Amino acid sequence: MRKFIASVLLITTVIATLNYGPSMYSEAASISEVAEKSGVLTEESKKSGEEIVLKVCNWEEYIDEGGWDDDETIDLESGDIRGDNSLVEDFEEWYFENYGKKVRVEYSCFGTNEELYSMLTIGDEYDLVCPSDYMIMKLMSEGMLEPFDNSFFDESLENNYYVKGVSPFIRDVFEENEIGGEKWSKYAAGYMWGVTGIIYNPEYVDREAASTWKIYTDEDVYRRITIKDNVRDAMFAAMGAVKSDYLLSDEFIQSPDYSERLMEQMNDVSDETLKKVQDYLQNAKNNLYSFETDSGKSDMITGKVIANYQWSGDAVYAMDQAEEDDFILEFAVPEEVTNLWFDGWVMLKNGVEDNPGKKHAAQEFVNFLSKPENVVRNMYYIGYSSVISGGEDDNTVYDYIKWTYEADPEEEEETVEYPLGFYFSGDVGDEDYIITTSLDQTKRQLYAQYPPSDVLKRSAVMLYFDSGTNAKVNRMWINVRCFNAKNIPVPVVIILLALLGCGIFIIIRSRIKNKM
Amino acid sequence: MKKAFARKYLGIPYAIFLILFVIAPLLVLIYYAFTNSTGQFTVKNLVGFFTDPNTIGTLLYSLGLALAVTIVCLIIAYPIAYSLAMSNFNSKAIIVMLFVMPMWINFTLRLTALKEILTAIEGNLAFHPFINSVIGMTYDFLPFMILPLYNTISKLDLSLMEAASDLGADSKQVFLKITLPLSMPGIVSGIAMVFLPAMTNYVVLDMLYNSTYIMGSLIGSYFSAYDWHSGSMIALVLLLIIVAFTLLTGGTEEEDKNRGALL
Repeated sequence: MRKFIASVLLITTVIATLNYGPSMYSEAASISEVAEKSGVLTEESKKSGEEIVLKVCNWEEYIDEGGWDDDETIDLESGDIRGDNSLVEDFEEWYFENYGKKVRVEYSCFGTNEELYSMLTIGDEYDLVCPSDYMIMKLMSEGMLEPFDNSFFDESLENNYYVKGVSPFIRDVFEENEIGGEKWSKYAAGYMWGVTGIIYNPEYVDREAASTWKIYTDEDVYRRITIKDNVRDAMFAAMGAVKSDYLLSDEFIQSPDYSERLMEQMNDVSDETLKKVQDYLQNAKNNLYSFETDSGKSDMITGKVIANYQWSGDAVYAMDQAEEDDFILEFAVPEEVTNLWFDGWVMLKNGVEDNPGKKHAAQEFVNFLSKPENVVRNMYYIGYSSVISGGEDDNTVYDYIKWTYEADPEEEEETVEYPLGFYFSGDVGDEDYIITTSLDQTKRQLYAQYPPSDVLKRSAVMLYFDSGTNAKVNRMWINVRCFNAKNIPVPVVIILLALLGCGIFIIIRSRIKNKM
Repeated sequence: MKKAFARKYLGIPYAIFLILFVIAPLLVLIYYAFTNSTGQFTVKNLVGFFTDPNTIGTLLYSLGLALAVTIVCLIIAYPIAYSLAMSNFNSKAIIVMLFVMPMWINFTLRLTALKEILTAIEGNLAFHPFINSVIGMTYDFLPFMILPLYNTISKLDLSLMEAASDLGADSKQVFLKITLPLSMPGIVSGIAMVFLPAMTNYVVLDMLYNSTYIMGSLIGSYFSAYDWHSGSMIALVLLLIIVAFTLLTGGTEEEDKNRGALL
């Protein structure tokens, strides 16, 4: 008995050390590391070791991690932009220079919004996280978020790059939408955004066919089209197809409150609509190559499929890859409707509440990432479009778009003028923001990264599902994805059960035999 | 006395592992399986499992898939293991290693390669979803079938077979009456190693070609809809099936001994 107690005690001690040991160690190690690196710390601050630890959780591969090659410098008029260190390291340095306080960012990653949500509900503590639109709404509705300070929105402060630089288009979306009577902008600062559409191989699919969500039942792409293996994206596509006629009717398009009605339509989760969506997806299933989680891009590039539901940022990536392999992929946004999505930074209550120092660092992290040259670094590294346009005074982001996409009319065969005003100044026809680009780009990367204003007009945000709706939608999804027992032919069931029974019988008999 | 004391402490790392990663998660699983979202006790999840045609359908589909995978593995693995074990070849170890070696290559990589090969053969994977799943899983699980079979067969007492043929049995009879029954323990543990993972390992399907849910993917979809309770119940029922299977087929060592004594 004594031995038993001793071992239990030992186990608990070991567990206790497991919990506290490593974190104590790593903290101590990194303080000295930072001190050595910056070399600017006074003896005093070294002694007190006062340091803000900011816990940030972001998507994988969703921030510039530095280490660019020598030939990757982006040479804009306003100066060269390069990523040598990761933005996280640069932030730590920048914060110390600007505010004289040390901050250490504990940076970690998540794979899906659901994974992040589980981590948060299990009790993991983070200060600043970057979920997608619907997860932000969910966290907001559950009161888990901390609002930004008023000072964050003060445009007169020099370092408030977010509020000074955010695109008017995105700002309006964040101002106009509310959860529980509070504006999104109070709790969330955008990071990257985009739309959804169909990426296709123009050799086999024409643009017209890819410009409707009904492509999923189109026999021309029989078994050569994929859809996302997650209910929200699949449902959005199916809804667009089911409601196609209505959404494209003149009466609907010309209604004065078109945007509101469109959003209402796309967030219609009535039983009747869900039934239609389910039927459509079950039909489409026989036309699909597969449901994919992230193999869609590579399947497009290797030519296994010729059309694929895609988020604009990933579409840009796939188109870039295809060009490297010397063939062309294009991107089309269906005529009915497109899903306007974004990822944004939110602060968590259980991390920053009652800790002004931490909160300040979290807000400044957002501002640092919104600084135009950092925006360019991120966009270059990740391939997604930032919500930051740079504001009226700073043209760095616009210059970067020009640097990437501008074409010389004398060199290219066909060029067009592509207006970007809606995004950079809020005025569609703004002459300051029209770039000359090749005709191809209006169907490819530029079109995906900055869709023309008519595409944005038909964009709708898909809201989060409350728990009742969530259960209903998941049931619909399981009905689509599972093999229903009612569909199994009876003889097959009998054969299966017989085989199983035989197996068990043989095993039991042999055991009994052996016992005797 | 001192020695025994020290030996006891050798088990502590495993005890910690067992408590933290096996027993504790299991208790959490059971807790979730029998509660609803407000934390109250309920058997609704259990009833839901057996009354939902989707769950039953998926279970049958998974069983069918696992059965096919196991049979194919057995058909391929037995002759190989047999001829290997019976051959007088000196460098047997190297050949065995050749079969095990694929396991050392990262399985993501292996499956990506397999996908390309199958596409080259079939043109479009979407036309034969079931066969592709069987091929993918067989590819992944074959070594788990070969190894136990090889181990059992190579330990067989050859004199028994010689005696049988001396007493007039032809080679077919020798195989059916002596070799096969004696290699049963290997077959059983091979089946246990292949059949059960094949029911839930949806990563193979996700990577290769994703069309129909198997049990693992169903659990995953409940979890991503924040329904821990139904997902846990499915995991628990699967666990019970596995336990039942192990109880039925278990005790191979004992069988070995019994046989030894009888003979």
